[in-house]
Amino acid sequence: MATLLRRYGTLIGFAAILIFFSVSLPDTFMTARNWLNISQQVSMLTVVAAAMTIVMAMGDFDLSVGSMASLAGVVAATLFVLGYPVWAAVAIALLVGLAGGAVNGVLVSVIGILPFIATLATLTVYSGAAFLISSGKTIFGRDIPRAFSDFARDGIPLGTIADQPLRLPYLTILALAVVALVWVLLEQTTFGRRLYAIGGNREAARLSGVRIKSLRLVAFALTGFGAAVAGLMYASRVASANPTQGSGLMLNAIAAVFLGMTMSEEGEPRVHATLIGVLVLGALDNGLTQMSVDSYVRDILVGVIIIAAVASSSLWKRFR
Amino acid sequence: MSLLSLAGVSKAYAGVPALRAVSLAIAPGEIHALMGENGAGKSTLIRILAGVVAADAADIAIDGRPVTIDRPGDAFAHGLRFFHQELNVVPTLSVAENIFLGRAYPRRLGGLIDWNRLADAARQALARLGISHIDPRTKMARLGVGDRMLVSISAAFLDSGAGTARLYVMDEPTAALTGEEAERLFAALREIRKAGRSVLYVSHRLDEVTRLCDRVTVLRDGGVIATKAMAETSQDDIILMMIGRRVDEAYPPPLAAAGNEIALAVRDLEGDGLAPVSFDLRKGEIVGIAGLAGAGQSEVLRLLAGADRAHRGRVRLGASDGPPPTSTAAWQSGIAYVPRERRSEGLILTRPISDNITLPHLAQFSRGGVFLARRQELAAVRASGEDVRLRARGPRQLCRELSGGNQQKVVFAKALSGRPAVLLLDEPTRGVDVGAKFDIYALIREWSAEGMAVLIASSDFPELLGMCGRILVMRGGALATVLDAKGLSEEGLLGHCYGRSGESTTARAAAG
Repeated sequence: MATLLRRYGTLIGFAAILIFFSVSLPDTFMTARNWLNISQQVSMLTVVAAAMTIVMAMGDFDLSVGSMASLAGVVAATLFVLGYPVWAAVAIALLVGLAGGAVNGVLVSVIGILPFIATLATLTVYSGAAFLISSGKTIFGRDIPRAFSDFARDGIPLGTIADQPLRLPYLTILALAVVALVWVLLEQTTFGRRLYAIGGNREAARLSGVRIKSLRLVAFALTGFGAAVAGLMYASRVASANPTQGSGLMLNAIAAVFLGMTMSEEGEPRVHATLIGVLVLGALDNGLTQMSVDSYVRDILVGVIIIAAVASSSLWKRFR
Repeated sequence: MSLLSLAGVSKAYAGVPALRAVSLAIAPGEIHALMGENGAGKSTLIRILAGVVAADAADIAIDGRPVTIDRPGDAFAHGLRFFHQELNVVPTLSVAENIFLGRAYPRRLGGLIDWNRLADAARQALARLGISHIDPRTKMARLGVGDRMLVSISAAFLDSGAGTARLYVMDEPTAALTGEEAERLFAALREIRKAGRSVLYVSHRLDEVTRLCDRVTVLRDGGVIATKAMAETSQDDIILMMIGRRVDEAYPPPLAAAGNEIALAVRDLEGDGLAPVSFDLRKGEIVGIAGLAGAGQSEVLRLLAGADRAHRGRVRLGASDGPPPTSTAAWQSGIAYVPRERRSEGLILTRPISDNITLPHLAQFSRGGVFLARRQELAAVRASGEDVRLRARGPRQLCRELSGGNQQKVVFAKALSGRPAVLLLDEPTRGVDVGAKFDIYALIREWSAEGMAVLIASSDFPELLGMCGRILVMRGGALATVLDAKGLSEEGLLGHCYGRSGESTTARAAAG
């Protein structure tokens, strides 16, 4: 019983949350429309959390993902203002993410700064850069091309329910694609196998010929790239960009990975488990909003849930 | 009356019995050996005594009075103290501060700590166990494992009154000690015995146990085979009791003579703590590296394996000739390495056996070097698991769940599955039980007969003498001499390690 709770505690908790909201919100919660809505709401978080899973597989953190997401959005929007075509602006913003992630990688693996400190520093650097580029203002309105913002508003038609068209949002599809990619990367490639080896015992991995430095650098670069993707999704969704819009993503992403880690026996971050973590947070957010519970209460609840999940799993052993 | 007596101690994990009605009595003033293969139940018994694991059934008595041990605090209150390799010391404090940790420090005017008196008191505490070479003002971090253990034991010896430490449970205390450190430890344990206190001594090392202990209890498959006075038994008897069969030849004979073709040529290899070293390793040859602790044995292997960076030197292996390799390059060029610390350097304990074995050779088990070829991988893991006679549930079992001997076999399987030309072994059988040891020796022989060159660094001299053709002797970070193992005695080898020769001095070295 105790081991069962330990192993499946998070899943049981998730089920409890679903049942609670289904009962409290019988007409609106467990509907296809609402879940498509949730899937769109959490799509950015999904991408950041999936990207975060890559570095956390090595036992590292990236605190700069939120400000990187903001920076990528601001860079793209600024390039729109300067008249760049959509594809060019998007490509450059993604390159900024890749480069920013690589900088984190260099700081952590080549120079050897603890990831917590290195990415805390780059968090403020990228955030400052976003403010500098945007002059602290929100870029919106006609400056954002329709081709860019329509992406987030559209989707694949799934038919109609009660005369309202139902769509599978492109953002959801993109998020699922990112999860699938990260899953293949972590679970099916030598790269992923080596990352988990580093996470399990860095010294043993090194002595087994695993190139620690270059792998860590690449992993951080990928996480930065993922953060930039999420930043662009966000900018597209709100058809605007400002230097703080990504800031909530980092803590939630880490929370989602942690919730996922409580589901694996060895406390290893797995991207499919991360996805469940994201859904827990998304369902909670959606349900509480519908019940018009104050968002501050939601923050408290999220914190409590993480503590409960970690405490009831064997995850704490890993960090003891 | 027995100081500690156990009767009917039973414990099962998920229905699998780990201990079956074990009885054990330890007299006051005795050093009592507890022996058995890995998995025989020694650890479980100790964990029950320590209050870490709850027994399914147990009658425990101290001085004839029944007691219960439910928590570590109970064990402590009953005067039981546990010493293993990871000691609870504060490395940033001095020896004296560690000894008096949790006790009242001597004070002087105004309540300030009287550091001089503290140092004196610590010196006396050490002296009670015959220890004079440790300066109480040294930071704990600067001491070796052996000295740290001595400090911990001295601290426990200070306790008096109700909480007196009466039984010292030592779990593989010499696993990481040099011969010299071990001798100091034995001297201290004899002082403890003289004071009427007792020691429960768990070790795989027969020599130590027969020299040090008064009685021995042998466990096999969770049951007590026998408790015997050391004077009434022999090493052969103990082995027979432990494994249930006689190991006539502890070291398998060479299967073939080494060839003349050079497998590995090392020239002027120099690194931190290692003066330039040059030697050749022939195909099919098994060469040992001996020395006192820290004489540079491990460093030679670490530089060749790419674990540490060399300052300079050349390494020729087959067609490749260049500076000492990185770890990645070493594996690629056919140098396999079994590091000294199995758990921290050799294995990823939280990962399955299969992932550990194929980690250095992942490119071979992939499509285009990118995607994992799992079926190929599992087939190879099964094959190499059989090669090393690994006992496990399957390739996906986590290494954490294996016994020490089987863990070491996984490290060997990892090294061997790439079919290396050169095998570097650092303390290959440390903490490995007799049965697994024999498997490992046989394996080394088999592979060397197929042309693999093997370099073994070991503090276990019988092992070096039994397995190797030549022995490189290291002294103070330099290669002192190369000996032919044939006709060499343990004492002779030790004498060379100390840099002395002649009967009287080697005898002194062995004792010192």
